[in-house]
Amino acid sequence: MNLERVPNEEKLNLCRKYYLGGFAFLPFLWLVNVVWFFREAFVKPPYTEQQHIKTYVKRSALGLLLWVAALTTWITIFQHFRAQWGEVADYLSFTIPLGIP
Amino acid sequence: CLFFGSVVRAAPLHLKDTGVGCSSVQQKIYVQLNKTFPCVRLLNATHQIGCQSSVSGDTGVLHVLETETDLDWVLSSGPNPPYVVLMVAEHFNRSTMMKLKGSARVAGVAVVISKAGPAQGFSPHHSCPNQNSGVYSDSYGPELAGCNVTVWNPLGNSLSYEDFRFPIFSLHEGEEADVIRKCFLDHNRGVNGSDPAYPLCAMQLASHMYAVKDTATCMRRNDIQSRFSISPEFVCDALADYNVWSSLKPLNNSGKGHLDGESVVIAATRLDSRSFFWNEAPGGESAVGGFVTLLAAAQALRAVVEDHPPSQNILFTFFQGETFDYIGSSRMVYDMENGKFVIDLDNIHSLVEIGQVALHRNGQLWLHSDPVSRRNSSVRSEVRERTSTALNLSLSVAEPDVSQPLPPSSFQRFLRARPIPGVVLTDHMSAFSNRYYESLYDDAEYLNVSYPSGLSPEEQLEYVTDTAKTLAEVATLVARSLYKQAGGLDDHLSSINADPKIVTQMLYGFLVQSNNSWFRSLVSPDIVKNLGDPVKMPTWLVQYVLANFTGTLRNLTQTQCKNPEDLEGESKDLYSYFWVQGPVPPNSTQGEGYCVRAPVRLVKAHSPAFELHQYSSRDYSTWTESRWKQIQARIFLVASRDLEMLTLGVGVAVLLVSLVVTYFINSKADLLFSSSRETTSTAY
Repeated sequence: MNLERVPNEEKLNLCRKYYLGGFAFLPFLWLVNVVWFFREAFVKPPYTEQQHIKTYVKRSALGLLLWVAALTTWITIFQHFRAQWGEVADYLSFTIPLGIP
Repeated sequence: CLFFGSVVRAAPLHLKDTGVGCSSVQQKIYVQLNKTFPCVRLLNATHQIGCQSSVSGDTGVLHVLETETDLDWVLSSGPNPPYVVLMVAEHFNRSTMMKLKGSARVAGVAVVISKAGPAQGFSPHHSCPNQNSGVYSDSYGPELAGCNVTVWNPLGNSLSYEDFRFPIFSLHEGEEADVIRKCFLDHNRGVNGSDPAYPLCAMQLASHMYAVKDTATCMRRNDIQSRFSISPEFVCDALADYNVWSSLKPLNNSGKGHLDGESVVIAATRLDSRSFFWNEAPGGESAVGGFVTLLAAAQALRAVVEDHPPSQNILFTFFQGETFDYIGSSRMVYDMENGKFVIDLDNIHSLVEIGQVALHRNGQLWLHSDPVSRRNSSVRSEVRERTSTALNLSLSVAEPDVSQPLPPSSFQRFLRARPIPGVVLTDHMSAFSNRYYESLYDDAEYLNVSYPSGLSPEEQLEYVTDTAKTLAEVATLVARSLYKQAGGLDDHLSSINADPKIVTQMLYGFLVQSNNSWFRSLVSPDIVKNLGDPVKMPTWLVQYVLANFTGTLRNLTQTQCKNPEDLEGESKDLYSYFWVQGPVPPNSTQGEGYCVRAPVRLVKAHSPAFELHQYSSRDYSTWTESRWKQIQARIFLVASRDLEMLTLGVGVAVLLVSLVVTYFINSKADLLFSSSRETTSTAY
């Protein structure tokens, strides 16, 4: 969708929808929000709705950062300790590699 | 022929990669090695043993091991690690293998097996077999436990129980081994002492095993797969097969648990063996000698059973899986304890076990008994009786030292449950006379089952070897002792004689070639095609042979033979009915087919640990075998790493150059391609 031809109100609406949607454990919506509306929020000359859009983009970025940190930490821990955890790790795993502990 | 692999696991998964069939470029590069046997991974409650390779196989530059300098080359001085070591069987010993195991420069090992084993003996098994699953423990004869008194297998180097992280394959001397050596000599030798130059001959061994760590882990993963996966992929199977049993007087199979008034003498032996490699286990002295003797004894007793039956019953049991912590006998004892077998432990009067008997020297046999339970005087009197029955034969039977424990035997599992009087008959007084216990070399040649040259296979089948004669004497001794033990009278002893002719036929069939006319006549017509050389799954073959020896011909058609329920005088509870091919007449390819009725049955030999879901059990066998998908070995020439990188670099450079050239041509397109068009456009 090309944001050039969308009225400002619509843009604010979209940004808000994506922001709220991200709270349903969907950090990718926040990523899309940040990337898509970055230019609108910080590069374009100011217009009335831009202040709200800026807030939404900033908060989405923050949420995204938290999610990335949490997932990276968990993935690192799991990959490192899966072999040692034995039974618990097997029940947590979706696919268990064959032939290695 | 007998291996724990003759302990069949449920549907082993080895799909061959048949998709790659006939592309000729592949055939020009790779030479497939077909007659190889891998070493596979086995797991128990605490360990994993065997070998593992990476998913697509381990590749290494080939090096033939002949001297110490070769070993140094592989371990430290060779310039092109990793190496795949090709060795002859002499070097396949513990010290060399441990050095290779500890090195990161070894990608695999291929062992060329010669016909005869190393002269000093070779046994990859433990020196104290089944140490923790026998009867001697801290609570029962602790001074006898752990081979403190006698080391039964002194030549054992426990190689089979090591965990290798690279694949190990076996080859036999022949065409393939020569091709490999030629490849090595042509390419991998440096000229005038310099380092060998690329391209070098390399070997790739692939035997990727799915299971890891121990039985509990792999059974848990099986469980997870079966419950949560759409197409479950199991990682291991418990070692399981069947025990064969038969009785002199038929027992009603529908009644389980204690049988009132029945007193039984059990005659036991084992059916299985193993070696370091998968599915190769001739087991001549360790298993075949024993069960052939018991089969011949069962046949010899047939002469008296109808006219002068003994007062007690005799139960012939052939246990499968004894190599791996007594799978078969522990299961039978478990079934007896829980009332799932036709008789109970209280019905057992005594037990006679046939151990390794084929290598006796000067006709001397030994009767082992358990010193802890020997305080029971009835056992001692049995032994004296047995020595007297040997008087008419050229064998002499003696007892070893009073304080010596029982050798590893199925009888130990019975003793764990009940103090039953019993003896184990062997040809060794203390340590095994078998110098190739549980190895590839325990074969026909080691037992001296050899035939004069120039005989056809049929003539070889009929030829009575010396080994057969001596085993027949042992069988006669066993049969007479069993008869006496079961309450038979002395007058009829002389009519019990084992036939050397059938002993030699059995030895030929189980050790040399199982696809012979006698075996073909004993089995059912649809199983005939499974007879191969040498036999890999003897359980059903022993069942048919025992049925032939202890059964009777019935005048029934094939359909009647399958369902003899309603017929008079036939009972499926007391007997099993087999439809066998019978002897093939000279002018046709198939025999007529006969119905044989015999009191022979199969019972599951599956460790109780799996029934009880106690996968870390210390009481029962927990052995499992990993599954795998592809096992292959091939040789090919490899180029140096530098050449590979150069090729890749040139390719990437060509890509970039082509991109740049395309961009320039694109941007100057009108200049390059417009000249001819301008002249034609003015023609408007």
